[in-house]
Amino acid sequence: MGRLILTVDDSSTMRQMITFTLKGAGFDVVEAGDGVEALEVAVGKKLDLIVTDVNMPRMDGITLVQRLRALPQFKFTPILVLTTESDASMKMKGKEAGATGWIVKPFSPEKLLDTVNKVI
Amino acid sequence: MSRWFSSSPASGPTPAEAPPAPLLADHGAALLRLAACEARMLEGQVNFLTPELLQADSLVREAAGTLEDALKTLDRSVQHQHLLAGEIQAAMQSTLEGDTDGASGSSFDAMSATIMGTLDGFVNHITEISESTAQLADQVNDIRERSFRMETMLEELSEIAGRTHLLSLNASIEAAHARQFGAGFAVVAGEVSKLADRSTALSNTIQEQVLGTRQALERTDAHVHAIASQDMNVAMASRGESEALVMSLRTSNWVVKDLVIQLEENARKVTEQVGHVVRSLQFEDLVHQTLMACLKELGNLMEQSQAWKALEVSLKAGEPLGPALAALEATLGQIEGARVQFRAVKSGSLAAGEVDLF
Repeated sequence: MGRLILTVDDSSTMRQMITFTLKGAGFDVVEAGDGVEALEVAVGKKLDLIVTDVNMPRMDGITLVQRLRALPQFKFTPILVLTTESDASMKMKGKEAGATGWIVKPFSPEKLLDTVNKVI
Repeated sequence: MSRWFSSSPASGPTPAEAPPAPLLADHGAALLRLAACEARMLEGQVNFLTPELLQADSLVREAAGTLEDALKTLDRSVQHQHLLAGEIQAAMQSTLEGDTDGASGSSFDAMSATIMGTLDGFVNHITEISESTAQLADQVNDIRERSFRMETMLEELSEIAGRTHLLSLNASIEAAHARQFGAGFAVVAGEVSKLADRSTALSNTIQEQVLGTRQALERTDAHVHAIASQDMNVAMASRGESEALVMSLRTSNWVVKDLVIQLEENARKVTEQVGHVVRSLQFEDLVHQTLMACLKELGNLMEQSQAWKALEVSLKAGEPLGPALAALEATLGQIEGARVQFRAVKSGSLAAGEVDLF
């Protein structure tokens, strides 16, 4: 069985592009449309990596990272933030919340896979 | 006084520097009309732009959906192409190159060399057989010559036997002339005659055997010559055909290898293009976020319009201008506070964004 990655984004296109790229490289992928759904999906799963957007309805990506880090199960799970936000203060918020890395959209499949393979 | 009413006209609503009462009396009605006009214009612009932006968002989303489907189909085709190229390569390796584990593997060129080496060995062997056959033919010739010489000697032997027989006959006649004195000689002459007869008989028998042997040699010689010429012809023809076959296989091998390389290069280029498509398709999300930010600003404009309308209502109701303007200022301040602080999408192109690992 391949490594399992959770991708969180309110854009269906983004989810599909991320899933397409990761599955093409042999990873298994589960999806969620926002932070709340991501927490529901993550429960009970052995996730090897989480890739999340920032601006989402119901629960944003920064809050999701904080909530995940509060769970013992995901204390050390790599979390990459994939967002249009490139503001330094936002990056700092992500880092303080416990994110492992920050990728600015749009991503190139090659760069995404390179980053995933570095942190996973 | 306030931020809104002290700034330049270009950056906000018309400033109002604590207008004196006479000015208000003179221009109150004009201000009322301006406020109403401003509110209507803002509402009209917002009402026009909002559905336009929503439609743009919908169109982009639909286009992205279609492109996603096309991308998935393209990807399946590429995967299939990769699979086929792999199968062709595997088939080529198993049929032409054998195992590639290094221990027992041999290249197609090595296989060709082995085939040609075997054929060379075969031809050399056939050549040796031909040479032996030629030597055999020489020996047959030698035996034939010896048999001729034996026949000559046998003829001489027959002649000697005949002369011996004649001599014994003459001796018998002479013994008869000698009467009782030649009786013993007559016996010897008789024995010599018998020996001569036996010699003649033996000579004839040997001559028959020699003749039979020579005839067998002639047949053997014919077979040997036939074998020698056929062996060489067949060997040379087989070698030529095998060389042509190996060359043909080698050419096919090169062609297939070249095709597989081209196929892989093509698949690599398609994969590269798929990467560009994946990156470009994200414009849907970027455009969506940009449009949503625009819609949020339009919402702010609508609130601004409502604020101006409230001012109009207040003034029409005869309320004092000061509190009405203060209320407008407070509302506009709130709207400014809620304004999007930075652009949702900073990237001005679809180049891949930066990556930071903490």
